[in-house]
Amino acid sequence: MKSSRTLGLVMIAPASVMIVLFFLMPVVLTAVFSMTNMTTATGISGGVYQIAPNSLIALKSALPEIATEMAEPRYTIDEAGLKAVEGLGLAPGIAAELRAKHAGEVFPARRDVERMIKDLAERPSTREVKQISEQFNRSVLNTRFDSKEQLFSALDDLGFKLTPEQKETVAKITYTGWTWTTDNFSRMASSPDMARVLFNTVLYVALVLTLFNVGYALLLAIWTHYMPPTPASIFRGIWLLPRITPVVIYVLLWKWLAWDSGFISILMGKFGYPPKNYLLDTAYNAWFFVVLINGFIGASMGMLVFSSAMKAIPKSQFYASEVDGASRWQQIRYIILPQMRWPILFVTCYQTLSLLASFNEILLATNGGPGNATEVWALAAYHTALRNYAGNLEYGLGAAMALVLVVIGVMLSLVYLRVFNYGTLVAKPLIED
Amino acid sequence: MTILPTLKSLTIAAAILASSSAIVLAKDVHISVWAGGTGPNDVYRLDAIEIAAQQLQREAALKGEDLKITVEKKPYSAWEDFKQALTLAAEAKTAPNIVVSGHEDIAPWSQAGLIVPIEDYVDLDSWPLSDIYENLLKIASYNGTVYGIPQDAESRPMFFWKPYMKAIGYSDADLDALPQSVQDGKYTMKNLLEDAKKMQDKGLVQPGYGFYPRTSNGPDYWQFYTSFGGTMEEGGKLVFDKAAMTRTYQFFADAVKSGVTKKNHIGMPGDQWWKEVATGKAGIWDGGTWHYARLVNQEGLKDFFGNVIFTLIPAGEGGKANTLTHPLVYLLTAGHDQEDTEIAAQLVKIASEPRTNALHAVKSAHLGISKSESTVDFYSADRWTREATERLLPHANAMPNNSDFGTYWNIMWKNLEASWTGAKTVDAAIGDAESELKSTLGDKIVIR
Repeated sequence: MKSSRTLGLVMIAPASVMIVLFFLMPVVLTAVFSMTNMTTATGISGGVYQIAPNSLIALKSALPEIATEMAEPRYTIDEAGLKAVEGLGLAPGIAAELRAKHAGEVFPARRDVERMIKDLAERPSTREVKQISEQFNRSVLNTRFDSKEQLFSALDDLGFKLTPEQKETVAKITYTGWTWTTDNFSRMASSPDMARVLFNTVLYVALVLTLFNVGYALLLAIWTHYMPPTPASIFRGIWLLPRITPVVIYVLLWKWLAWDSGFISILMGKFGYPPKNYLLDTAYNAWFFVVLINGFIGASMGMLVFSSAMKAIPKSQFYASEVDGASRWQQIRYIILPQMRWPILFVTCYQTLSLLASFNEILLATNGGPGNATEVWALAAYHTALRNYAGNLEYGLGAAMALVLVVIGVMLSLVYLRVFNYGTLVAKPLIED
Repeated sequence: MTILPTLKSLTIAAAILASSSAIVLAKDVHISVWAGGTGPNDVYRLDAIEIAAQQLQREAALKGEDLKITVEKKPYSAWEDFKQALTLAAEAKTAPNIVVSGHEDIAPWSQAGLIVPIEDYVDLDSWPLSDIYENLLKIASYNGTVYGIPQDAESRPMFFWKPYMKAIGYSDADLDALPQSVQDGKYTMKNLLEDAKKMQDKGLVQPGYGFYPRTSNGPDYWQFYTSFGGTMEEGGKLVFDKAAMTRTYQFFADAVKSGVTKKNHIGMPGDQWWKEVATGKAGIWDGGTWHYARLVNQEGLKDFFGNVIFTLIPAGEGGKANTLTHPLVYLLTAGHDQEDTEIAAQLVKIASEPRTNALHAVKSAHLGISKSESTVDFYSADRWTREATERLLPHANAMPNNSDFGTYWNIMWKNLEASWTGAKTVDAAIGDAESELKSTLGDKIVIR
């Protein structure tokens, strides 16, 4: 008994690893990222401390005098630098000439000191010039320090007299990496655009779900139920096509239908209407097509589930009802629909979760347009975190948006489990006890 | 018995010697280069590095080194895919050695440590780098450090379809004077909308085709903001000029309201737009200097100068006529072997020589990067590059290199699109933009 339990654990181990790696970890990482202000500019792996002209602007309001002093780039030809140049293993004349002609000189910028070095009798190569100039750099400007300690010791070495608090302020302002924050959530809560995106999402899920994934799927199942088997199979097969066509091609076909030079425009042109982009003409049009595009894909799954569920209804019930003189509508009303309660509930639950997370068809068709009218939550999260013309990807905010979807999904799943009475479904069969 | 180990050690020693001498004599370097926004006319962004590699190999040979450089080229036609791929590759430490991207990426990428300053590897005082236009080199810098070498320059003019301008009453002399009149602020955005309307009213173009701007987000839209008096950055801080942005949003809302621009214009298929502007379906439109190459090479517009006239973006209320240059820059990514990065820097330097860069300028209809490039006969003999350089480049602004500019840009664009399509009123869009900028950027942006 004990060994079989161990064996069971061993058998399930690969599955557990997969679950942790591919299901749990992404969610945990999303949650972690959502609590940061991570962007392209802050990097993912962490930042450094850099006193740059850019950060000095912020430092100026906090520590004005120190900021002004730090802003001074200085290249000083001092003895320490000359010793370091001697240690570089370059031609000995270089250090000697520097000491003889330039000792004690101060240059305001790197290019100035490098011009002087290039004028030395033994003209060093570009690489050597860079090496030499670095030995005389007596400023913290634009140097990247990996840790606070390095920054502080550099500040100490250069003679900046800073209190520990001032040092911390400098470190805080000059840090280039991401920090922990809950700003993403307050940004989401306060943004009118996010409210609009949320509304779009609810609209999208509700429309596609009721009109197609459940409504039309049920209609298709009932139609094919009353058809002879062969045409019914062909009909169902045709409805599966949108599902099995690669999504890029499928959406492209819709675009050809609705573009200015597409089928609808050509057809309407015959009646004297000027061509227009029906897909993006108005927000209503865009919604119309978004719902159709997604609905035609989603309807097939419901159709299959409902068809097989209808097949399971004993034929005798239909025969009996026909003997009693029931019409088709009465059969649907009193035989089919009451027995379809669970399949309908299942399809509704499953498709709600799918629709919440799906955005690729919208991305390809309207890209959220026109004017963000069809931007749904998942698409907005994708745009924020991974797609941006200016290359400034906002990973933190995108993750926070994705986390909201995860939370909604988990909550809905729990509600559905309750509705389905999952506890009863997985209860131990009485016979085993 | 003793011979065998001796022989063994001798063989090993010989092998080590052979391999180490081979290292000294032959050096194989693999340099990868990626370029964004690169279509069939822009191949020299990548090919110039290959040409440079040949030159560097010859220089090495003269110094007695056997240097072999393999250049791996990867063009990306779109920008968004490219930037996503590059940033993620760089985070995963698999970035290419050289990247060709927009200068606005310098700020976020350098802050994140994805790129290294090119000035650490090349002598900016030596030719050809010393000859590059000072303002372009400044655009390629951030925090007072030169991070990239400009790969091209451009500007974004306003185009007019000549036959329609004539049909609404412009004489040849008027058209010849139009660029100057735009530059002097006599022909304004208001006149532009009026002319577009006239073209439609006369039935020369269909409704919505009078003014036919760029169909997607892009730097072009900052020109309109400048045109209506807006400033993008001042003293290192971003600036959101509410009045100027309101006038900018209002301009597009008015264009839609008067019917000269389509409400659904944004997001329309790019290929369709190209075909339409090349065949005279549109009256007035904005674009880049590089559009010339596409219109002539791919879209079949043979008599460009007979059909099209180009000017600066006209002044709007409160602003001035302007254009925007958006140079792409060669950048060096971090995390590579120091010597490879040095070779990559040398390749960028050689690729920036006037004759090599002129190949790109002429083929892609971009503008030259250095003063002596305009003295290269091959460059100056090309009417487009010559005229565009003279007429536009002196008036070109650039977007700021600021690590928060992308965030500002997103918010600006999102609300422009919303007011354009009528999803929000102009006032609501400005209000939303302001509140989002405040909550997102705080004191990093000046709102006035």
